[in-house]
Amino acid sequence: MESRIRLLLLSAVALWACSGCAVWHRLHRHSSSAASASSSAASSSTASGGTSSGPESGGDDQSSSPPPVVVVPQVQRRTITVPKIKSNNLELGAYYGIISIQDFGAQPVEGLRLDYHITEDFFFEGSYGRATAGETSFELLSGGIQLLSNAERRFTYYNLSLGYNVLPGETFIGHKLAMTSALYLIGGIGSVQFAGDQNFAVNFGAGYRILPTDWLALHIDVQDLVFRTDIFTVYRLQNNLQATLGLSVYF
Amino acid sequence: MAVPYLELHTGPGRGYPVAQVVGRGESVDVLYRHTDWFKVRTERGIEGWASAQDLSRTLLADGSRFTVNLGDRAGFRSHTWEGGVFAGAYAGATLISAYAALSVTDNLKIEADASQYLGNISNGYLFDIGLAHVFMPEWRVSPFVTLGTGIELVEPKATLAQPINRSDQLGYAGIGLRCYLTRRFFLRGEFRSNEIFTRTNTNEVDKEWRVGFAFFY
Repeated sequence: MESRIRLLLLSAVALWACSGCAVWHRLHRHSSSAASASSSAASSSTASGGTSSGPESGGDDQSSSPPPVVVVPQVQRRTITVPKIKSNNLELGAYYGIISIQDFGAQPVEGLRLDYHITEDFFFEGSYGRATAGETSFELLSGGIQLLSNAERRFTYYNLSLGYNVLPGETFIGHKLAMTSALYLIGGIGSVQFAGDQNFAVNFGAGYRILPTDWLALHIDVQDLVFRTDIFTVYRLQNNLQATLGLSVYF
Repeated sequence: MAVPYLELHTGPGRGYPVAQVVGRGESVDVLYRHTDWFKVRTERGIEGWASAQDLSRTLLADGSRFTVNLGDRAGFRSHTWEGGVFAGAYAGATLISAYAALSVTDNLKIEADASQYLGNISNGYLFDIGLAHVFMPEWRVSPFVTLGTGIELVEPKATLAQPINRSDQLGYAGIGLRCYLTRRFFLRGEFRSNEIFTRTNTNEVDKEWRVGFAFFY
């Protein structure tokens, strides 16, 4: 019994010694090669590059080989159809206000406007308005003399304008309500039909647009309509200032 | 949201204040568009306006980019529709004009115009339809020629003895330039020679030039 135990112990010691020996030999060989490599590196850099890059490149070859396929991905790709995004760049509205027709008094004016918002800064505007001119001071004082017939007193115009939003911002009403708003400059060309004649006209002005909702806008607008006319026999510029209040919808 | 954050403005413009921010990984629903701004609703139900530039850096649900066509040089070369307004002169009178065109190819367009001229002797309207050929649509400044027909409605001024409104058919030929500005916009200028087929023995030739602002879609 004793001899068996002794044999077992001895074989275990021998195994440990042998394995230890092998480990120690491998370690010794590795460190000696590293030491020789470093010593050769010190002597010649090109040689060290050759010796040290050898095992590294071998390792790279091993990692670049494709890994075994474990799971074949079976992913169904989602196909998404993006719905068309509705845009509301058009604005249609009506306005009402007062126009001072030069020499013919201040009269009510009404009109329609159609805007196309090109960018956040610029917009095109087409507008059509009409008013009826009053009487000149001469007609009022002379007693019965009429310079124009009733049909000729109709004042109608259209304008094609370009607008620029200069001061975009928010308008606060009370403490809780804030509405987006913008001050804009506008100018354009058009024509005026008045006193039995139609003339080329230039319009320019400024306005204030306030939006209680994204689709509704309130406009306060002041513009001057200028045209050359010979109503009083000689050609001269006629300035017609108008101030209007309008309501429009975006679509 | 693939960017660190998306700013939501209170209105469709850079001048309106930023009121909300959407973080990375969150999603938004696009509701509608006004010019280059998009009204969006966040997961928390908050609504605001995001610029097309910012939104184009976000991803759709399938991982692809959100793309917005804001108009570019490629669009100037090939597009379907264009339109614009002009100011100019027609036989000494002031001209106001608007046009729309449909592209058959990048070079060939079918155009329709409506114009009004206002002069000292007479006023009138012109309605034309014709073809335009753009020679180098890929150039920033590209020349073109036009050829077409139309009608002229003349309203002589009341100062003449017997003003009679009349309408005549006309044919025109013209040359012009298109100059790309930015985004969807370009300038267009042209000269036309209008041959008016009057009821008298001789035809009338009226020269017309006009410059204006146009955009394409």
